[in-house]
Amino acid sequence: MENPKKATSQESRKTMVSIKNLHKVFGQNLHVLQGIDLEVKAGEVAVILGPSGSGKSTLLRCINFLETPTAGTITVDGLTVNAGKATKEEESKILQIRKKTGMCFQSFNLFPHMTALENVIEGPVTVLGQSKSEAIPYAMELLEWVGLSDKKDEHPSRLSGGQQQRVAIARSLAMKPDVMLFDEPTSALDPELVGEVVDVMERLAEEGMTILAVTHEMHFARDVAHRVLIMDGGKWIEQGPPEEIFTNPKETRSKQFLAHILN
Amino acid sequence: MDNSSKMNKSSIPPEAQAILKQVADRETRFRKNMLISFIVLTLLAIGLFILIKLDFKFMIKWLGFILTGMGFTLLVSFLAISLACILSVIGALGRLSSNPVANSLATAYVSLIRGTPLLVQVYMWYLALPQLGKAIEELGVPGIQSLLTLPAIPAGILALGVCYGAYMTETVRAGIQSITIGQREAAKALGMTDGQAMRRIIFPQALRVIIPPISNEFIAMIKDSSLVSLMGVWELSYRAIKIGRRYFQSLEMLIMVALIYWVMCVLLQYVQERIETYMARGDRRMS
Ligand SMILES: Nc1ncnc2c1ncn2[C@@H]1O[C@H](COP(=O)(O)OP(=O)(O)OP(=O)(O)O)[C@@H](O)[C@H]1O
Ligand SMILES: [Mg+2]
Repeated sequence: MENPKKATSQESRKTMVSIKNLHKVFGQNLHVLQGIDLEVKAGEVAVILGPSGSGKSTLLRCINFLETPTAGTITVDGLTVNAGKATKEEESKILQIRKKTGMCFQSFNLFPHMTALENVIEGPVTVLGQSKSEAIPYAMELLEWVGLSDKKDEHPSRLSGGQQQRVAIARSLAMKPDVMLFDEPTSALDPELVGEVVDVMERLAEEGMTILAVTHEMHFARDVAHRVLIMDGGKWIEQGPPEEIFTNPKETRSKQFLAHILN
Repeated sequence: MDNSSKMNKSSIPPEAQAILKQVADRETRFRKNMLISFIVLTLLAIGLFILIKLDFKFMIKWLGFILTGMGFTLLVSFLAISLACILSVIGALGRLSSNPVANSLATAYVSLIRGTPLLVQVYMWYLALPQLGKAIEELGVPGIQSLLTLPAIPAGILALGVCYGAYMTETVRAGIQSITIGQREAAKALGMTDGQAMRRIIFPQALRVIIPPISNEFIAMIKDSSLVSLMGVWELSYRAIKIGRRYFQSLEMLIMVALIYWVMCVLLQYVQERIETYMARGDRRMS
């Protein structure tokens, strides 16, 4: 699969995701994100690490507006949405942003009433208005690419967790997203199934996809990511290239956290 | 990769096979005994009928006449259940809506209808509505009285449809709510609007949960449709009761009409089971 949006190194890389001063408050006073800034360049692979409850999922879910941010701005591929405005125009921008971002969930969330292939064509057919016959060739290419073309007619209940997650990735890719968000895509998997999913993510990174992933898969964070960001209490503690973060963290809190997860 | 396909008979050890055989034997024995009990029960019933000198000739003579009433029963039930399905989907969407007007309307509908007897509602549509029309007409809306004066069958269909719609609203709402939030999120993440997510993802899954209780409602409605006889519609039970009274042979007529309802419900139950098996495809791991 050739990613049409592959960013070559010669290109001056544009900013794909830009987040400014993002706040998220649940209820009246659960201040989960406390002024997050983030820029992700096209083709960049960024991994977010941090203790449980620090707000990593909330951040990813704000980027495609599964959570409504309380304050701040989010820009994806030039489309900016200001938090707190609920106009028709913002609504349609949110739909646009969702089409530009693919999301992979910890619990896969495949549509159980559809076969693998039907899952993959669902986005193009329902959201982009393609006909089935238009959508199927690319969907088959994607299933082939994640190694599951022989399972195209199976329903999710008959696939293993790793297979389900790979179908879920194909389903997201069918929308030809500019950015892929991964929220702990392997943490619901048996250890022996983690590899096949990480392998797909790694190949996606090689194709030049912009990736923002929350994952405790150390191989991916260390060897695939260009940048590692550590979050705690809704703020960035530290960020930098993986070599630096893993060998020589500066902040005490990141040292403690890394010591905790690396053992 | 696929373990189940490798598991053929030969790899099952003999002790396990003996147990499997025992289980199978027990099942056939159970089925055989069931069948015998049924036959005995049927014979006993027929014996009883003969003993009390049931007039079979009379029953056969009027069978055709009574069966023609089945047309009304089926027509009323079918149209009423269709109306109820539409109302229940609208009602459920209202109950789940964040719009206060829609939500309170749906809640009031369910509460009001479920809190009043169907019998009262039937008369409401048939007898009270024309009076309401008269009052409105006197306020200066021409032609409304004749519009609100409904013939018996439409009134019956409305009464049953609106009533069952209220009960089914709660079933549909529960079915929609039983679908995990992750499904809606996955649909939204693909860029679907709320309507698309509902139509393509949530509702088809909810349908699987909803169909069994809805078929039960349909079966119940077949029987409740006899209420339209109150308005003088010559449906199944009305015919049976009329003929029974006229010839003082109510026992024959009532037994006959009860059997007809029973057969209809058994047939419907069979259809329901078929639909459920169809809906459950892809639901479980099949070996
Ligand atoms: N919908 C919600 N309503 C209320 N509180 C929420 C909601 N979602 C998340 N939270 C709270 O926000 C905080 C951050 O949650 P989040 O899921 O973003 O953490 P996380 O960093 O992804 O943690 P984990 O590693 O366990 O997944 C937690 O305290 C959580 O309880
Ligand atoms: Mg999380």
